[in-house]
Amino acid sequence: MKDKLDKLMVRAFGKPLYRIALVLLGLPTFVAGFVAYLSKKGQDDAGYQKIRETAKKAAEEDGTLNRIRDNAKLYLTNKYRHFGKKTDSAEFEKELETQIRQDEEAEIQARVNQIYQKEGLGKRSTFIEFLCGCLDNQMLLALSIVTSLPMYVLLLISSNPYSRYIFERLIMMIFVAFGVVFVVFTILHFASSSPAANVLGETATEQQIADFNHVYGLDKPYAVQLVNNFKNLATFDLGNSYAGNEDVMAAILRKFPVTLEMSIYAFIIAAVIAVPIGILTAVKPNTAFDYIFMFIALVGLSLPAFWFGMVMILTFSINSHILPASYVEGNKLSLLMPALVSGTHLAASLARNTRSALLEVLGQDYIVTARAKGLSNVRVIVKHALGNAMIPIVTVAGLQFGGTLGGSAVIEKVFNVKGIGSYVIDKQFLPDIPAILGGVVYVSIVISLVNLAVDLLYVYLDPRIKSRLKSQ
Amino acid sequence: MKSENYFVKKANQRKLNRFVEDRYLSFASGASAFLGAACVALSYDMKTKSFGMVPLVVAGLFLGEAALAFLIWTAFKSQVLKSGEVSGGLRLSGIVLAASIINGNIFCGLAGLILLKKNKNLEYQVGCYMLLVEILIIIVSYLNVFKEYVCDSFFIGMGVLAAVILIHGVSLPLVASRVHGNKADKIMFPVALVLIATTLTGNLFSLLLGLMLLRKCYTKEDHVSIAWIDVVKRLFRSQMAVLGAFVIVFLLTMSICANLTFDYGIAIDNNYSLILREPSLAYPFGTDDYGRCVFTRVVFGARISLTVGIMSTTLSIVVGIILGAIAGFYSGSTDNIIMRILDVFMAIPGLLLPIAIIAAFGTNTANITFALGVGAIPSYARTIRASVLTLSDAEFVEAARACGARDKVIIFKHILPNSMAPLIIRATLGIGAGVTAVSSLSYLGLGIAPQIPEWGNILKAGSSYLETNAYMAIFPGFAIVLLVLAFNFLGDGLRDALDPKLK
Repeated sequence: MKDKLDKLMVRAFGKPLYRIALVLLGLPTFVAGFVAYLSKKGQDDAGYQKIRETAKKAAEEDGTLNRIRDNAKLYLTNKYRHFGKKTDSAEFEKELETQIRQDEEAEIQARVNQIYQKEGLGKRSTFIEFLCGCLDNQMLLALSIVTSLPMYVLLLISSNPYSRYIFERLIMMIFVAFGVVFVVFTILHFASSSPAANVLGETATEQQIADFNHVYGLDKPYAVQLVNNFKNLATFDLGNSYAGNEDVMAAILRKFPVTLEMSIYAFIIAAVIAVPIGILTAVKPNTAFDYIFMFIALVGLSLPAFWFGMVMILTFSINSHILPASYVEGNKLSLLMPALVSGTHLAASLARNTRSALLEVLGQDYIVTARAKGLSNVRVIVKHALGNAMIPIVTVAGLQFGGTLGGSAVIEKVFNVKGIGSYVIDKQFLPDIPAILGGVVYVSIVISLVNLAVDLLYVYLDPRIKSRLKSQ
Repeated sequence: MKSENYFVKKANQRKLNRFVEDRYLSFASGASAFLGAACVALSYDMKTKSFGMVPLVVAGLFLGEAALAFLIWTAFKSQVLKSGEVSGGLRLSGIVLAASIINGNIFCGLAGLILLKKNKNLEYQVGCYMLLVEILIIIVSYLNVFKEYVCDSFFIGMGVLAAVILIHGVSLPLVASRVHGNKADKIMFPVALVLIATTLTGNLFSLLLGLMLLRKCYTKEDHVSIAWIDVVKRLFRSQMAVLGAFVIVFLLTMSICANLTFDYGIAIDNNYSLILREPSLAYPFGTDDYGRCVFTRVVFGARISLTVGIMSTTLSIVVGIILGAIAGFYSGSTDNIIMRILDVFMAIPGLLLPIAIIAAFGTNTANITFALGVGAIPSYARTIRASVLTLSDAEFVEAARACGARDKVIIFKHILPNSMAPLIIRATLGIGAGVTAVSSLSYLGLGIAPQIPEWGNILKAGSSYLETNAYMAIFPGFAIVLLVLAFNFLGDGLRDALDPKLK
């Protein structure tokens, strides 16, 4: 138990970012430990200096140091002669001096270590070794746990490879979220159009504009506004939008489920269509079946969403009245067309990737072995090939799902779906900074979470990744 | 047990595979039949439950040509299987087939040209595409004659086009007979220069052909093949990839030649006597709600889509290469800092970053190019970084370092040229994505000013008349799909052509 704690501590201390986190979280322990370490170090250093002096004197007396100086000079003269340089330049003197200092130091250090070993004094311990030594004491350990609990929680998290991985990714995500706020806010802050003039209209007086800017803090300098936005992000309070003065967080929470629902339908449609087609085309490559479906997939990739959406409306709503042309809240059928349109692109790329991933696996030696054993074709593909081909397919599917969430803005505009994408675009014209910031950050966080989930799914699909994760 | 028939079939297939005409003819008949069927489907009006007359005539033409190509193909097959060669008479029938280019059937036109010549080299194939581009351009330009008036430079433009066709037509047989393997006769040198000069019309095939001829004029040993010409050769094996290139070159040439043969006024000036006309011979795609010719607008729209697509991809490639190479080469904290900054940009999903940039700095072509370029930087930087990371451990890089090469030299002369293949493929696909993005932005009202002819703008205008005048939204959409599809096919073909495993 104690050994494990020591090991964790030393390992965590070895990584720069973890070291900072440890010191910050376990400040009482580290301050106390450091003070104790300094006082002990003072005593150690005095003893060390004494031993060093003796060693130096001994080396001087038996002529070792003189020999070192002569050797260094000889070596350097030879080197300079070999390269055809002059041995009486200032450069030579300088190099000689550093060389001699280096060699002397090495000799003295070796003698000091010898003395330490002979007298059984042991090495001088580093700070972290000293700290671990102190924590051997049960009393001190209990005190330390009470005063700096967060540090021990961090150590606990880092003890398990999975929790450590998830924790690191989550921290990363928080930094990315702040980065997104920084980038988007900076772009919008230096925008040419002013929100005040756009919200209040052309007839607004200067006084009104000044009041508006004061209410929303737009008259403050850039840095103050940026810090305010960071604060808003940290407290999950995204502020109020300029137009309509509604709570941004509430608006996003109302609109996001619609986008999510649409994306999930799209994903299901895509997976149901694309994966079987991808498998069938990979099993029968270079046949007419393969060519036709891959051609269709490429066409699906090239269809611009808004045009395809319009063609769908034209055929299914205007000409044949089968489906509603635009989204109606509560009517699931009205989400079918937007889901189909955004699912087309997804299905196309998923089918292509399934095909290429499976083709690559089917070319490997172990598949030949499986066939040679006399297994049926279905068994080879389902039991042996699909499992390994799954990994790249899951990557693409995860990335694409995230992309559908973020890239659905155009489709939402075509079908008049009141989702997060069309919300951000509607606010873009003002620009309504809190609403845009909230929307963009929210979507990017959800996409990061989806990617994290996909990465965790890997661990279950691919044992190689599991072992790599554990060995870190 | 495979039946005996199976082996006979295989042997026959081997015989046919010796002739490229087989692929071209079968493709021509299939593609023409498909286009004909598509025209029939398009001619059906769901509301009135009747067939339109004009599309049916076009469909009939295509189907007739498909039948002709099929007949020639069967005759060709029986001749090859019987005697192992093709008679002169059948080759002459290629002229009839080639004539089908008049109604825009490039598949049959191409197959006819290929069938006509007995000994075909790569140059002849490139030349066929080059010639077809110009012929198609002059046919499309000729449609202007049906309008009430043509622009002042129309006849000059047609004259130039005719002269270029003449030059290309004359050089085609020359190219077929005067290039032997990897060596060309010295007489091809001026021909190559003339061909490169005709690239001014935008015809990149003539540039390619000219460069290939120049290179082959100056080759010392004709048994050594030239690396990039080999790539072109492999690319031309895939018919779909070359068709993609054909569409791109056609639209590029069209957008350059349109300056002479099309009247920009018809595309941009309001004409209230012509509001919302149905498609006719004078206005092939109809007119829009301001009485502007949609066809002319689509033709001029190619200019903006291509420019923004290519320029934004260039921008993101250049910045992506620099960042990716630095991050991959100097791993450690440099890598970490660059990649974390790029992660932030990558986290902003889809079009939202370009939209924010455009909202901030205003909508004009330069800003849109910049915004789309910035949005695509992270993915290019990642591609480059990945290949630089694997290459910086390679032995040839170590050798260069041992020879005392500076970092700059190692990166730009040794590592980057070797990591170009994935980048070229990505860039081809990226231009296609850029074209879609430009029109998406216009559709959202964040793009180029609405009166300027741009595909997204035309579509947006058409979307409000979807119920009554659907053609306004359909045709520009076809143009976008065609261009993006072309880039995707070219990208796919390039992937196969550049695949190091095939080398």
